[in-house]
Amino acid sequence: MKNSFLTILILAILIAAIGISSIYSSTYRKEAKPWREAWKRQLLWLIFALLLFIAAANLSYRWLWDGTYVLYGIAVLFLLLVFILGIVRLGAQRWLRIAWFNFQPSEFAKLIVAIFMARYFSKKGREEIVLSSSGFGIVRGLIIPFLFVAFPMALVIEQPDLGSGLMIFFLFIAMLYLTRVRLKYIVGFISAGLLLAPFLWHFLRGYQKDRLLVFLNPNIDPLGAGYTVIQSKIAIGSGGFFGKGWLSGTQSQLHFLPESHTDFIFATYAEEWGFLGCMVLFTLYYLLLRKGLEVAERTQDYFGKLLAYGITLLLGIQVFVNIAMNLGLAPVVGLPLPLMSYGGSSMIITFMALGILVNIDRTRAVF
Amino acid sequence: MSRTAFLKLALGLLFAVLAAGMFNLQLLGGAKYRDLSNRNSIRLIPQKGCRGLILDCEGNRIAGSRLSYDVSVLPQGVKDRDGIFSALSRVLGTDAGAIAKKFKNGYTVPSVPVLIARNIELKKAIALEERKSELPGVIVQPSPLRDYPHGRLASHVLGYIGEIDRWRLTRLTDYGYKTKDLVGFGGVEERLDYYLREEEGGLSMEVDHRGRSVRILGLRPPVNGKDVKLTLNLKIQKIVEESLKDKTGCAILMSPLTGEVIAMASVPDYSPAVFTERQNQEIARLVRDLDAPLVNRAISGVYPAGSVFKVIVAAAGLETKKISAHTTFVCTGSTMVGSGRFNCWSTHGRQDLRQAITHSCNVYFYRSGLLAGPEAIHDYALQFGLGHTCGFELPNEAAGSVPSPFWRKVNRFKSWYDGDTANLSIGQGDLLVTPLQITRAMAVFANGGFLVTPYIIKEIDGKDVSASQQKSVRLNLKDSNLESIRQGLKGVVAEAAGTASILSELPVQVAGKTGTAQAPPGAPHGWFTGFFPYKKPKYVICVFLERGGAGYYASQVAKQIIARMAAEGLIN
Repeated sequence: MKNSFLTILILAILIAAIGISSIYSSTYRKEAKPWREAWKRQLLWLIFALLLFIAAANLSYRWLWDGTYVLYGIAVLFLLLVFILGIVRLGAQRWLRIAWFNFQPSEFAKLIVAIFMARYFSKKGREEIVLSSSGFGIVRGLIIPFLFVAFPMALVIEQPDLGSGLMIFFLFIAMLYLTRVRLKYIVGFISAGLLLAPFLWHFLRGYQKDRLLVFLNPNIDPLGAGYTVIQSKIAIGSGGFFGKGWLSGTQSQLHFLPESHTDFIFATYAEEWGFLGCMVLFTLYYLLLRKGLEVAERTQDYFGKLLAYGITLLLGIQVFVNIAMNLGLAPVVGLPLPLMSYGGSSMIITFMALGILVNIDRTRAVF
Repeated sequence: MSRTAFLKLALGLLFAVLAAGMFNLQLLGGAKYRDLSNRNSIRLIPQKGCRGLILDCEGNRIAGSRLSYDVSVLPQGVKDRDGIFSALSRVLGTDAGAIAKKFKNGYTVPSVPVLIARNIELKKAIALEERKSELPGVIVQPSPLRDYPHGRLASHVLGYIGEIDRWRLTRLTDYGYKTKDLVGFGGVEERLDYYLREEEGGLSMEVDHRGRSVRILGLRPPVNGKDVKLTLNLKIQKIVEESLKDKTGCAILMSPLTGEVIAMASVPDYSPAVFTERQNQEIARLVRDLDAPLVNRAISGVYPAGSVFKVIVAAAGLETKKISAHTTFVCTGSTMVGSGRFNCWSTHGRQDLRQAITHSCNVYFYRSGLLAGPEAIHDYALQFGLGHTCGFELPNEAAGSVPSPFWRKVNRFKSWYDGDTANLSIGQGDLLVTPLQITRAMAVFANGGFLVTPYIIKEIDGKDVSASQQKSVRLNLKDSNLESIRQGLKGVVAEAAGTASILSELPVQVAGKTGTAQAPPGAPHGWFTGFFPYKKPKYVICVFLERGGAGYYASQVAKQIIARMAAEGLIN
């Protein structure tokens, strides 16, 4: 119990520390002072996030069971508020200003969807919470939960934040898969989605279409939509085996790589630390995710089990998609690399999620 | 497989995919991406040095360098192309459409500037620089350009500058020449290109994504080419060229003691600036012109020698003791050689050697040539430097040819007859010489029997290279024989009946020989070659007029040259 708390904490802090050092490296040469001090703010978020982590680890996750729908309501409310009060930045309305803190409700929504899915597919038995999906038909097993998820998802995509929207969608599918809902429903659902894809294409914004096209061939627009991917690949590739060394990555230092401290922090890191450093980072992430899966496996309580899976998946999918996007293996969608990318919301939500994970592992023994 | 087990497997697989992607990018593609990253952030800015100066013997600049300003447009820096083009056309005074067309033709990639105009006026360059902020993407780059302060002066000696051709490139790549390098063609520019050429330096700079310099990574300063000092005297060269104006031919002034070429001009000439400024139409005209303005007649033109060759026949006859200074022949206006009648241009009566030279009597030389024999004439012609190149420094020197019975057999498949000997004796027939060879031969009489090697390069980079010139060779000629011929040469000018008596009006005593070389069809070539001052020769002169009529006209030009030299106090 103490073990998983310490392991997860240490792994998460290590990754966050790597993140801060990379943020420092990618911004220390910027002209504007606020940029140069980004790492200090990130450090502040980390400390704040650690407090929340400890709080979440000590507060029984059981209250989430009771509070699921309230939290769901709050998440949707936040997402709606973004449209009214949100701050427009880089053409997207994703942030809510709460006191001095720019909060990104889509990050919150991701976690809430995981909680919602865990709650929806488990029920209180006589002694413990059990899986409730065994008898579910297509309506209760697929359509109703999808409607619940689709609403916040649509709001997120409309911000527009395609990355987080897709993230929620992937999370939904993956958790559905873990709830013993019949496989044919899931397969059928994905097939339906694929069939609808050409139709949905028209709902995408111009730049989103560009990004998807550019993913297929970055060279169709090397100075426009393809620029980021090309520069990111150059940054990563030029790192070679040992990397160029901390503070010496020309791609990020000289700003050839856009978003080098947020979505493309991985490329910054890979350029400076090389293949060796990346393997270390991959190991850290892998160990963290393995720990999450272990916690989920040994939890008997189905709400806790599903929630642990959900949190692990939430992290895992984001890590994978973000790094794949950095490598040019996935289209560029705005998605942070959890624990590393600059940004308070992601940092805080991730640490809270990890805190919940630790709490699940700790409470497990009570039953 | 349970769904949770599958999930675990999927997690491992996804990380394997990422690791594979990393492997592909960083290890397999590492070098390629490292190169791309360097190209992103490292800019090489070439810095050109100046080509070495070419100076005359007094250090006056014949060819130098000046800054020229080229205008280019960086495509990625331009938003409103038409606006830029019209602004440029207003400043440059050219049509905006033409600029747009030039831009379109020259465009390769956004980051490579397109050259719009070369060598614009300083005023326009300043005007463009002043409006830099209104004209984003417009680059005015100064670059050194070959400059000729005296225009066409000594163009054949200098040569010109042009982009390296394929043939030269294949021979010179080992010496560090690259495509698009500017190299010398013809003249000193070609001969000493290796010394004159500048070494390009450069600045390697780290730039950020906007191309702003962040720091300087390395600097190799450009090295200017080495300066070259010639033996040419600009003042004399000017006089020579002005005297030759509107004629076809060439003139050489050389020091008879050392072989230093003091002036060398060939007309028609050209302006070397045409090549640096790339006036393609004018270049095409020069190349096509049938008068061959690009050819340096003084060293590359081969012509029949005519009567100027008689001095060598005289030397051959005297040295082989077939004639003496007192041998006389009677000129009746013609003489029979075999069954053929060979004419003189006048009827001179009894002539000894001195008179024969003075009057350029053909009959005398028919007879003495026949006495000496063609082999002896051939041998002495070779000794005097005919029939092979002088070893002069400028490229494309011609060798000419001196016939002999053997030569005639090999080259013409014909036998040699006495008539051929007679023809050779007056410098006709198959005898072909360059004006430089004649100058060199005349120097032998001026300096007392030495065959000098003409040269024109005095110093390279401040070091005197004349010491490395071939030493002059003493020809085995008797002083008394030389003196007899010199007497004749003096008479040519000094005596009223001498063929170049008009030169006697000069304040300096000149000795020389005229020549009228028949070259049918068309007018004969005119020669005058001589030396002055007679007592202590300082200069050998040779004037050659291609199809310029009798030698008289050539001596007129020589007179003009010497008179002006005397007037400007250049002789003493």
